[in-house]
Amino acid sequence: MDVVLADRLQFSFTMMFHYLFPIGTMGIAPFIVWYNYRALATGEQKNSDAARFWTKIFALNFAVGVVTGIPMEFQFGTNWALFSAQTGAVVGQPLMIEGVYAFFLESVFLGVLLYGRERVSPRLYLASAVAVWLGSWLSGYLIVVTDAWMQHPVGYAIGPAGRIELQSLAAVLFSPFAGWQYAHVITGAVVAGGFVVAGIGAYYLLAKRDAEFGRTFVRDGVIVALVSSALVIFPTGDRNGADVTAYQPVKLAAMEGLFQSSRGAPLAIIGMPDVAAHNLIDPVFVPDLLSFLAYGNFRAGVDGLTSYATALWPPVELTYYAYHVMVGLGTLFIAIAAGAALLLWRRRLFETPLALWALLLAMPFPYIASEAGWVVAEVGRQPWIVYGLMKTQAAASPNVVSGETIFTLIGFAGMYFLLGVLFLLLTLREIAIGPGPQPQNPPAAQPAPAR
Amino acid sequence: MTSIIAFWLIALMLSAYTLLDGYDLGAAAIAPLLARARAERSAIVESIGPFWSGNEVWLVAAGGTLFALFPQAYAVTFSGFYLPFIVVLWLLMFRGIAIELREHLPGAMWMDFWDVAFSLSSALLILLFGVALGNLVHGLPLDRSGYFLGTFSSLLNPYALLVGALAVAGLVQHGLAYVGDNVAGALGDRALRYIGRLWWFVLLAYLGLSAATIGALRGPVPIAPLAVAASAVALASLAALRAFAARRRSGPAFLASSAFLAGLLAAAAATMYPYLIRPYRDTPGGLTIFQASPPAMTVAISLVVALAGLAAVIAYSSFVRKRMSAKVVVREETV
Repeated sequence: MDVVLADRLQFSFTMMFHYLFPIGTMGIAPFIVWYNYRALATGEQKNSDAARFWTKIFALNFAVGVVTGIPMEFQFGTNWALFSAQTGAVVGQPLMIEGVYAFFLESVFLGVLLYGRERVSPRLYLASAVAVWLGSWLSGYLIVVTDAWMQHPVGYAIGPAGRIELQSLAAVLFSPFAGWQYAHVITGAVVAGGFVVAGIGAYYLLAKRDAEFGRTFVRDGVIVALVSSALVIFPTGDRNGADVTAYQPVKLAAMEGLFQSSRGAPLAIIGMPDVAAHNLIDPVFVPDLLSFLAYGNFRAGVDGLTSYATALWPPVELTYYAYHVMVGLGTLFIAIAAGAALLLWRRRLFETPLALWALLLAMPFPYIASEAGWVVAEVGRQPWIVYGLMKTQAAASPNVVSGETIFTLIGFAGMYFLLGVLFLLLTLREIAIGPGPQPQNPPAAQPAPAR
Repeated sequence: MTSIIAFWLIALMLSAYTLLDGYDLGAAAIAPLLARARAERSAIVESIGPFWSGNEVWLVAAGGTLFALFPQAYAVTFSGFYLPFIVVLWLLMFRGIAIELREHLPGAMWMDFWDVAFSLSSALLILLFGVALGNLVHGLPLDRSGYFLGTFSSLLNPYALLVGALAVAGLVQHGLAYVGDNVAGALGDRALRYIGRLWWFVLLAYLGLSAATIGALRGPVPIAPLAVAASAVALASLAALRAFAARRRSGPAFLASSAFLAGLLAAAAATMYPYLIRPYRDTPGGLTIFQASPPAMTVAISLVVALAGLAAVIAYSSFVRKRMSAKVVVREETV
């Protein structure tokens, strides 16, 4: 196998598996802060039980997120040595800052959340929840900054040895590409958080247990899901799309399946790209809409894929489908959340099984939408690893052969299968135990062994 | 000048990692031999539970700093030692999962399994870290651009294994001192007593390693006085550790153990300096901090950002540690 292909498979597999868990932590963290705040403000046991329940779910996500996150930093060096050597002076900066500013914050204060309920004051406990939230969101920002630099390199200079040198850290940290991309990524995670909280609440209501928590979770989750589902489309998705239009027009053409340049370009709602024939099979178009979405003008010209050399095309099918999955699901989220919010407002949601089932079954889809969004961003960036500067084909480690990478890929696959099974098992168990007050001795406990 | 500061910053971060994650690695490695019941193992886990993850961040942060300040060295070492690095990674993952998931199911078999997994992966990690350090100090066969020419098995040479042995003994001793200082009652006492037995082995490994290092190094060490002074500090701290442990003074014992490790690491850094990757004997190649250094401005900016951040980290993590530092007691378990 081609070594670069093996490296890419390993990176995308480990990355996509890893990202499931930061979605969880970034999406759930605000709820932990909210319930802890309510606990402090009202003094009600219910709120601190809710906070404790979500902290446990958060902790499972965090544990798997941390252990699957370390390989990402390692892989830059192990599998992508030429990329690291060439760009480390820039790319290393946000990663160093993430370690020093975000990871410590998250780890140290999560220790307080998990072990400190009886050891610290309620105020410090709430402050720790806020610190964990900040840490997880800051970490997300620094990763997006790193990615934004690979999408649209800024603040660098080419050094004497042809190596990329840092010219302005501020330009890198506040890259024009990073702002909207981050807003889009983080609202995507909040959509997931909202749907998870609402979905688990819906489960309790449908299962006719922990009804008080069920109502709280459904209400809070639906409100958050509605607001964030709207924000993820407008303005964040729209503006992030505008950045892609401005800086990466060939990616835009692949996302939309637009082969021929045209004025008044149509938007393909569905259709299957036939890359060889340069068209879409069985398409459904909305005329002129793509021109409007890209440039705010129904008659604007949009460049199609054929106006670029084929060597500069990203893999069209994957980019196209990932984008359409993301957008299709985004629309579905608005529909589900708006329907549920309407019922909530009419005070009928908790008694409408169909809506509760919809919320329960919607839980996995924000994860799929987020993953699909990253596929658009990263697969759509190909053939570049750093847009316009460095090709992916020239970035892998020169002294690692595909046999080694395939060996470690198999190892990762085995390890992550185990992790996934354990994560699901333990998360389902926490949901089964539920948020209600726990008896001192769990009923499942066996008698103490004789010593 | 800036590359010299960058070298010492990374050395300092790795030392902080060794001192902090070192105690939880060491305590985990010795737990099955030290604890007499599952409840005691639980107490050991509880004493490190709130802190281990924050401790491990020092490694991640040091890695990020190396990436930013010496990208060439980062690329060459990580890809050159592909297999050992990935194995270290898997062990780190396995260990993290073991300690985190152990608490999530109150079942005896579940906990026993993860306790053994936690202990074995921690012990192996210490050994591999020690072997890695040993090879870095001793020097490696390198090609002209600094890529490693040997194989995984060639890394397991006698010198590196000796450093690995000292690492295991030294960090287990550190873990015992931590348990002695942070767990109340018989378990804490037993941990301090065990130091007395392990101590002779640590001393022997230390003396053997010092002799081997003097024998192995050809050519002058640029900052030999620092290496000698640091070794002397290590030896004095080791002596103090024995005395404190024997008098059951757990706090000073833990500090003495920390000073011992810090002395060893400073000596190692002084021996390596100015190399990031030292070539074996007098072979060509190798990467010094001057060859690998990025422009002074980059280093200066990174240093300010990193130091400001680390100052904050040290402030809030010691604040948290103070608030959270109740001695753990061994509880009768319901499992």
